[in-house]
Amino acid sequence: MLIGAIIAGIVFGLYYTLVGLGLNLVFGVMRIVNLAHGDFLMLGGIAAWWLFTTLGLHPLASAGLVIVVFVLVGLPLYYLVVPRLLRSRDSEMLSLILFFGLSQMIEAVTTIGLGATERSLPPRLLGVGPIILFGTRLPKAWIFSAVASAIAVLLVYLYLYRTRLGTLTRAVMVSRDEALATGIDVNFVSAVAFGISIALAGVAGVFAPFILGSITPNMGVAINITAFAVIVVGTLGNPLGTLLGGIIYGVSLMLMQTYLSSWANLLPNLLLIAVLLVRPEGILGRRVRRA
Amino acid sequence: MRSKALLLGLLCAVAAQTARAQPPAPAEIKIGALYASSGPYASISMPVSAGFRLWVDQTNANGGAEVKAFGKKIPLKLIAYDDQSSTATAATLYNQLITRDHVDLLIADSGSVLTSVGVPIAKEHKQFLFDVSGTGAAFFTDDNPYVALMADPVSTIWPHYISDFLADDGAKAGIKTVAILFSTNDFTGTQAAALKGFFEKDGKVKVVYYQGVPTTTSNYTVLINNIAAVNPDAVLELGYVGNDIAFLRNLQDSGNQFRFVFSIYAGVEKEEIEKNVGASALTHIYTYVPPSNYEYVPEVGMTQKEFHAAWDKKYPPGSNVTFGANAVYGYMTGLVVERALATAKSLDQMDIHDAVFALSGKLKTLDGTFILRKDGAQIGEVTPLGQLQPEGKDALTLVAVYPPDMANGKAVIGK
Repeated sequence: MLIGAIIAGIVFGLYYTLVGLGLNLVFGVMRIVNLAHGDFLMLGGIAAWWLFTTLGLHPLASAGLVIVVFVLVGLPLYYLVVPRLLRSRDSEMLSLILFFGLSQMIEAVTTIGLGATERSLPPRLLGVGPIILFGTRLPKAWIFSAVASAIAVLLVYLYLYRTRLGTLTRAVMVSRDEALATGIDVNFVSAVAFGISIALAGVAGVFAPFILGSITPNMGVAINITAFAVIVVGTLGNPLGTLLGGIIYGVSLMLMQTYLSSWANLLPNLLLIAVLLVRPEGILGRRVRRA
Repeated sequence: MRSKALLLGLLCAVAAQTARAQPPAPAEIKIGALYASSGPYASISMPVSAGFRLWVDQTNANGGAEVKAFGKKIPLKLIAYDDQSSTATAATLYNQLITRDHVDLLIADSGSVLTSVGVPIAKEHKQFLFDVSGTGAAFFTDDNPYVALMADPVSTIWPHYISDFLADDGAKAGIKTVAILFSTNDFTGTQAAALKGFFEKDGKVKVVYYQGVPTTTSNYTVLINNIAAVNPDAVLELGYVGNDIAFLRNLQDSGNQFRFVFSIYAGVEKEEIEKNVGASALTHIYTYVPPSNYEYVPEVGMTQKEFHAAWDKKYPPGSNVTFGANAVYGYMTGLVVERALATAKSLDQMDIHDAVFALSGKLKTLDGTFILRKDGAQIGEVTPLGQLQPEGKDALTLVAVYPPDMANGKAVIGK
């Protein structure tokens, strides 16, 4: 059971890497916490459900469409909200309040529009039956989501380290003021990062029905708590540290489910407290973030 | 002397008149209720609320409810607040309904979690609580006359037929071991503990796995693998709608197969679960047979078919509320309110209590026979054990398989 839990945890953790990746990117670039991140994830799931039920679109095709649409939504949303926020005296704290409000609005509007019941996609779309990995039975959907997550991490890495815009993004991550002083269009760079972040949440949402069973309008808050724990463990502001955070979360969750199942929902909070007490800068720490 | 006698007579007459005088009939009967339009309990709360509203609207369309205390029909006014599945919000709103709105009748939200905060508040304010479907055994005590369970049996009774079936037909078919996986809340936790007790008492089936998981659990893959590792013949998963959807999907995805698999909401909210899980994952799953899938012969109110038709008319597809057991529970609660108002001597809360308890054993509705234990626990309206069996291509029918006197089909136990 121990080996099975660890293997399942690594694969499951890769999904939570995808969940936390965008949240960490936004924090790294803008130093704001997007508490509506989980709600954008939920909207990604709703979009996939709607595209399938109305147009018969396969979720993998929906994922591509969601990326495009969510980036296009993220860009104007950034210009509408974030620059004003960043001009405030305590933008980190105010971002909590503002995005919490946005989260509540998204949940309320979705509930009014679609109702509060669970929605899902047929399991057969990503293949029914297990894949056996080192003797552990895992759903095919987990493998799909893990692969999607790995691709997302790779693309974010390539974006940050192999493109000019990515270099500018890293410059903003190091110091927004210095980047501004050197003539970088900080707002454009940040808007792109914000759009990518929302698109990553949307893609995670497309896989949510297969990983979490179903999607409901109220799922955003719980997703946020977990995603926040993942990025704090992996190091706040270091998008690639999210990979480590996600895997640690996944393995810890599966071990808790195996040996202390009744207490499994305490895990995100326990991880947060443990990291903040022992290594507040996150496991990868500041050195990597500035690299 | 004569003037004293006259004065005495006058006083007696005034006293007698005062004793006979009743408060004037109110313009409306205020009914306070809670519902959850969002959050984890919305999917069980909204159908209850919609079923109850259907009864209120029907009653008002007929001129109101017959109120014996005033000898006339009086319109109903429903004051309903949204607790958003939060127990803290629900506690505030229960208090608000009692102390600010001064409702005549108080209806709890659906399910044990959101009812749990209402029980002590109602008791403290001496307000009778119509507990729709909060089945936690701890709610019902001899020292609290201010609560009664309306629409489904107390949790300790629900799973009786599961253990009876496994000890009877199951044991004959060679089922010897069982795994119990439950969500840690009043509703399913009580059922799990009761089941464990039944199995240990019978001694025919051995419990080899007994684990609780948080109600927020949305992934069961590793738990299912762990259950498979102890190789049980039967698996009983006790959770809410979201838990059951995740469990049944993960079970199918995992490829693990067990001879007997039980899930509460596979039958209780069949439409909802089937929509999210698919027919193939539900085939041969055991579940409770709720009143929405079983035709009791009612003496009061609509039959199941009539109610379903009325529901479809009021809430057509796209209304975002699904027909199921909880819809029946809401309507059924309305019928109890109706009968209680028609027989209560006054709107005093203890008179309401007496009227509700007087219905015990006499009220037969589309939900079965309403029977209350003296502490308010519902012990009638017992749900038979059922199984989802294939009916044509990609369709399932819910068949009652136990007890034999309620069965309308034969159980298929896996090899």
